[in-house]
Amino acid sequence: MESSLDSANLTGMDSSSPIASQSPPAQLDSRNAPIPKALAAMQSKTRQRGTIQDSLTNGLEREFKFKHLGLLGVLGWLLLLHVAGIFFFTKGFLLTRMVLENKSSCEVLPFDDPSHLGVGGENNGCWHQKTFDKAIVIIIDALRYDFTVPVAPNEASDMAHLYHNNIPVLYETAVNSPDKAFLLPFIADPPTTTLQRLKGLTTGTLPTFIDAGSNFAGTAIDEDNLVAQLRAAGKNLVQLGDDTWQALFPGYFDANLTRPFDSFNVWDLHTVDNGVNEHLFPLLHPQNLTRWDVIFGHYLGVDHAGHRYGPNHPAMGAKLKQMDEVIRDLIAKVDDDTLLVVMGDHGMDSKGDHGGESDDEVNAALWMYSKKGVFGRTNPETVLPPNSARDRFVPQIDLVPTLSLLLGMPIPFNNLGSPIEEAFAGAGGKDWNNLVAVNRLTSAQIKRYQHEYAKSRGAGDGQEFQSLGLLENAEDGWHTLSKSSKAKSAALHSVYESYRQYQRHTLDICRGLWAKFDVPSMFQGIGILFAAIVLLVFYARGLRTNRTELTNSLLCSVGIGSGLGGATGLCLSFANVVDMQALESLALLAAVGSIIGGSWSIFKPVGRLVLPLPDSLWGWLAVLFTVSQSIGFASNSYTIWEDEILLFFLTTFGVVSGVSSMRQKSTADRVLGAYHSILFILLGRIASFSRLCREEQMPFCRSTYYSSATSSTSAPWQLAIPFILTLMLPGVVRSFYAGSKSYEGAASLWIGIGFRLGLFVTSFFWLLEGADDGEWLPLSKETLKMVRVFLAQLVLALAFAAGTTAFIYSKPCVSVNVTPASSEPDSRSTPAQQPGRTTVTILGFGNVHGTRFFLLAVNFCLGIVLMQKPMGQGAIGLLLWQILSLLEILDTNRLVMSNSAIGPIVLALLGSFHFFKTGHQAVLSSIQWETSFIPLSTVKYPWSPILVVLNTFGPQILTTVAVPLTVLWKRPLQLQGQSKSTTGKPSNPAIALLSDVVQAACTYMLYFATVNLATTMWAGHLRRHLMLYRIFSPRFMMGAAVLGVVDIVLVFVAVAGVRFSTLSVGEIFGW
Amino acid sequence: MSSPTSPTSQQPPPAPKSPPPASILSTPLAKTYATIHPFLLLTLLAIRFNALVSSPVDTLLRDLLPLAALQLAYVVICLPPAGTIDPGTTAESTTTTPTPTDEKEKEKKSSSSSAGGIVLRPGKRGYRRKAHGASSGARGAIMAKVAASLLSLALTTLLATPVLAVCLVLFGAPLTTHHLETVLCAAHMALLAATGLVYVYGVDGAAWKEVWGVLRPADAVWGAALGTCVGAWFGAVPIPLDWDRPWQAYPITILIGAYIGYFVGSFVGRSSCVFGKRIVIDANEGENKDE
Repeated sequence: MESSLDSANLTGMDSSSPIASQSPPAQLDSRNAPIPKALAAMQSKTRQRGTIQDSLTNGLEREFKFKHLGLLGVLGWLLLLHVAGIFFFTKGFLLTRMVLENKSSCEVLPFDDPSHLGVGGENNGCWHQKTFDKAIVIIIDALRYDFTVPVAPNEASDMAHLYHNNIPVLYETAVNSPDKAFLLPFIADPPTTTLQRLKGLTTGTLPTFIDAGSNFAGTAIDEDNLVAQLRAAGKNLVQLGDDTWQALFPGYFDANLTRPFDSFNVWDLHTVDNGVNEHLFPLLHPQNLTRWDVIFGHYLGVDHAGHRYGPNHPAMGAKLKQMDEVIRDLIAKVDDDTLLVVMGDHGMDSKGDHGGESDDEVNAALWMYSKKGVFGRTNPETVLPPNSARDRFVPQIDLVPTLSLLLGMPIPFNNLGSPIEEAFAGAGGKDWNNLVAVNRLTSAQIKRYQHEYAKSRGAGDGQEFQSLGLLENAEDGWHTLSKSSKAKSAALHSVYESYRQYQRHTLDICRGLWAKFDVPSMFQGIGILFAAIVLLVFYARGLRTNRTELTNSLLCSVGIGSGLGGATGLCLSFANVVDMQALESLALLAAVGSIIGGSWSIFKPVGRLVLPLPDSLWGWLAVLFTVSQSIGFASNSYTIWEDEILLFFLTTFGVVSGVSSMRQKSTADRVLGAYHSILFILLGRIASFSRLCREEQMPFCRSTYYSSATSSTSAPWQLAIPFILTLMLPGVVRSFYAGSKSYEGAASLWIGIGFRLGLFVTSFFWLLEGADDGEWLPLSKETLKMVRVFLAQLVLALAFAAGTTAFIYSKPCVSVNVTPASSEPDSRSTPAQQPGRTTVTILGFGNVHGTRFFLLAVNFCLGIVLMQKPMGQGAIGLLLWQILSLLEILDTNRLVMSNSAIGPIVLALLGSFHFFKTGHQAVLSSIQWETSFIPLSTVKYPWSPILVVLNTFGPQILTTVAVPLTVLWKRPLQLQGQSKSTTGKPSNPAIALLSDVVQAACTYMLYFATVNLATTMWAGHLRRHLMLYRIFSPRFMMGAAVLGVVDIVLVFVAVAGVRFSTLSVGEIFGW
Repeated sequence: MSSPTSPTSQQPPPAPKSPPPASILSTPLAKTYATIHPFLLLTLLAIRFNALVSSPVDTLLRDLLPLAALQLAYVVICLPPAGTIDPGTTAESTTTTPTPTDEKEKEKKSSSSSAGGIVLRPGKRGYRRKAHGASSGARGAIMAKVAASLLSLALTTLLATPVLAVCLVLFGAPLTTHHLETVLCAAHMALLAATGLVYVYGVDGAAWKEVWGVLRPADAVWGAALGTCVGAWFGAVPIPLDWDRPWQAYPITILIGAYIGYFVGSFVGRSSCVFGKRIVIDANEGENKDE
């Protein structure tokens, strides 16, 4: 308040703010021109009229500033609503599990109990007496349980299929010698893809979407697992077959004996299997027995036969018969000390595919065999393997403690599985002591994990796990038993059962935590997002009056609503009425309250609202683009091919704008409009050649973003792109400025020199980067890196420090010429000119708002170009050109002043389109993390994440910055004097401008909010879809991130920037 | 969805008077065949569908001639050749024309005799003949039809096909592969859309300026042309779907869309509730995109 009073005094004396009063004369002196009458007249007039005119001007400026702040507040409210909606949905949708780095070790038992007898000498095993020295673990990919059990042809209506009865060896051995073998259904936790299954089978924990660990991008397992434990125990490990193991456990296997095979060629049924056989059987030769301890063999033939032919095909029968032979050979060759395990990692559906969670996909088979004869059944009813996978199944993670304890290893830290009963029951099935011992160990380890997990989550000890009571019961039973000298088997049985109960209960809880969606929370999020869109639609498209008039009442009611809601939320939470954390319930009810308040303010006054239906083909087109794309996100195909769809829409817009241009009355409009329409289409099509294909687009897509499909470096020819950009882009911008004679003042300096210099340094940076990759220069890597970091920081400083300063303080891009006599009748001049005497020609008058504001887009363009790889820089250059072209199209088709929705929507499409053209896809793996090191040598917060955002969402950021231009470009300058209303209240054209800007901003926001709501709803709706984790979930995350970024940039850069450009125009031309 | 690719070539004449919407000739044969023709085309498409799916290029190439023949037969039988659109010959239709175009028709009527500003107008002679002497009218009309049909065939092949092929590429058709598919698809679309237009309007600058601006008043020819383009636009929709159907291959769906669009457009353009109306892009009342 004080400062505004100060400036009021100053303006009272000087007629303008200090900057304005000093700079224009200096500029004019250098031109040796007389004092411009326009300005001088204004000054003298204001001096003469004294305070009346002056306070009016001042009041208009203050009104503008005040209303501008109010609008920022409204946009900020929308931002907060979006954040709240996304938060509540994400909380229920994105299942996360923290990866604990803790490792179990041989020396540290999971409980401190000196009475434990398991630990013996090093040859006896760690936590428990070991049963086997060696093991052969054979995985037959997609070995479904019903493949392995006999199906009698006469049984009910079910005919024996081609895949039945082809691999009888497992069932036969389990029936004929139950002490040597057992066969059980082996249930996978979805997703049933091999990589996720191997994770589960070795770590003993459940897969979630985000295993939030230190190693986010890579696939290598960094939590405790079976393979790491075996390796730590000094075992020599051999892996044969599917190369997924190599990605998960790099460096764990004996390099000389290991033979990985490519796993993705599903058409090839035999290469992998024959390769495994070829290398597996020689290892079983007695003279090779000392060279290995554990073999992991992974056969893929059954899986591939399923993918290629489906299960009910002779090829599947043949493949299963071959596997039968392989297992018989193994049985013949394996020695007494070796455990033989055969299992499927998942099943397959009726078409032979897998990945989801249908019964057929999760039902695999597990078979264990040893010649020692140590296996048993505790109950005579369970001697025979179950006929269907629904009976007596074991979860797949049970393999982890079972194998660990059988081989005398510590149980991996994160394990949630239980020891398989048959493996520890002893030959007679009566070894209850052993069963209790292994289950006590496992339970203790699970408890230790629970404790650590709760600790690192920051929650109270075991708050989530109400199962600890069960464990205490079991422990009590155990202690009572151990005190009495001779334990009865019945008592042991009950202790065993209580340990099992604890383990399964914990598993259920964890499954609930990590694998169950919190649907109410998801609905809360969707509800908030939906309500925000409804409000936005009416605010952006349905208001007939000036939006600034609404600001006060809107902000008031939103404030009251959110305050009341938040307070209610807090009370409810403390009164324990709702089962939520205090902050969450506060946020939820504050959001709901603000929505109610906002609707009250927007919908209450009658007559101000109209139904927000489009009133022209342009409006319908905008709706068509937004809605059809949003509906399309329900389909994985349209999500995968989003880049092509955006090109299709952009070309459609170009064609319609070309058609519309041909209808224009004036020849100049017609020619310019058609030219820019064609240019717009062509540039988009050229940009579309820059592609980075996602996996699902194969084989119909060829990546061009990098030098080859398998590299992430640029080809040498691509290093020319930045230089081409340096040469051309400033010229392109200049040509658009020159069109309205606006290449004057700050524009020529900033675009002609600053922008070009920045682009040149950028191209030099990428040349050095290329030189570093290709080792073309005899300089050390350190020197090159240092130089590069310096250059990059220079460009960023130029773009964002110098650029922002220039943007805030520079004058409008006009030049003033004063001629003594009237020469050009059609040259537009200020209304304050004195008639007859002299003519003041102001070059660049026609586009004074647009060219002034565009400087901000130039700054961001420079910063974003630096952060892109060379190919992406080309795309950004084309984007800037397309933006300018679009602005001209809008102008020639009279869409600037008509507040059409099409301008902002096409800008949004452009930003989304170029997201794909800068080497990104809606998948996590396409994030170019390495770009955060362009101007930095080490990771620095918060800069590194901001830089990655600048790289990833650069195109959307650039188009967001350009949004106000859709109503500013070539906007006629209206002054208060011109549009003086008949009533006493002066109408302020700057306020009309503000209202238009915020309408454009909200329309633009509407596109991203709609896309976000659509992807959110589809991801929530399709949460059981096979492609959830590959397609829908990443697209939802991208939609949410883009919306957040766009909102923030709109509030803090784009709409905020309008303040400075409008003030700067107002200082020169008055209000 | 017409092509904007060469709008600058259209220099606006000083006082452009565009021809009125063309109606189907009033002979019984013309009326009958005009109704049969779109069905014939759809039948052709249905018969050839399997062949089209199994070998698109061959089928498209082989069907080019029959399609051209059908289209020529249609225009010669059913449509007035370029320059002959005269209120006299289409009196029946003019009376049914909705009021908005009536004034323009009158203007046209008064100016058509003095429309010498336009240099080349095939069929002009025929028109004059008809105007001057009824004795040589029949022969002149035939000459006009021959000239117009030859011109329409030539322009369709030489101009419309490349323009449409470029459009297909701009909308995302592959640039480096599938050249034959693109060109043949464009040729089929051109035969569907452009033959009638060229036949009826010749190289009348005012008419073509309206074509580029999608400003033509609706009639069978313009409806069919616009329908072809819009249909092809919608035909691209199923391509990305992962149904793994052989007919999803480019350019089959686009062609099917174009044929269906032609069918719909030619009937809708003729229907009395639409005939003579223009598409509005940006005005207060206009909402409908097409048809």
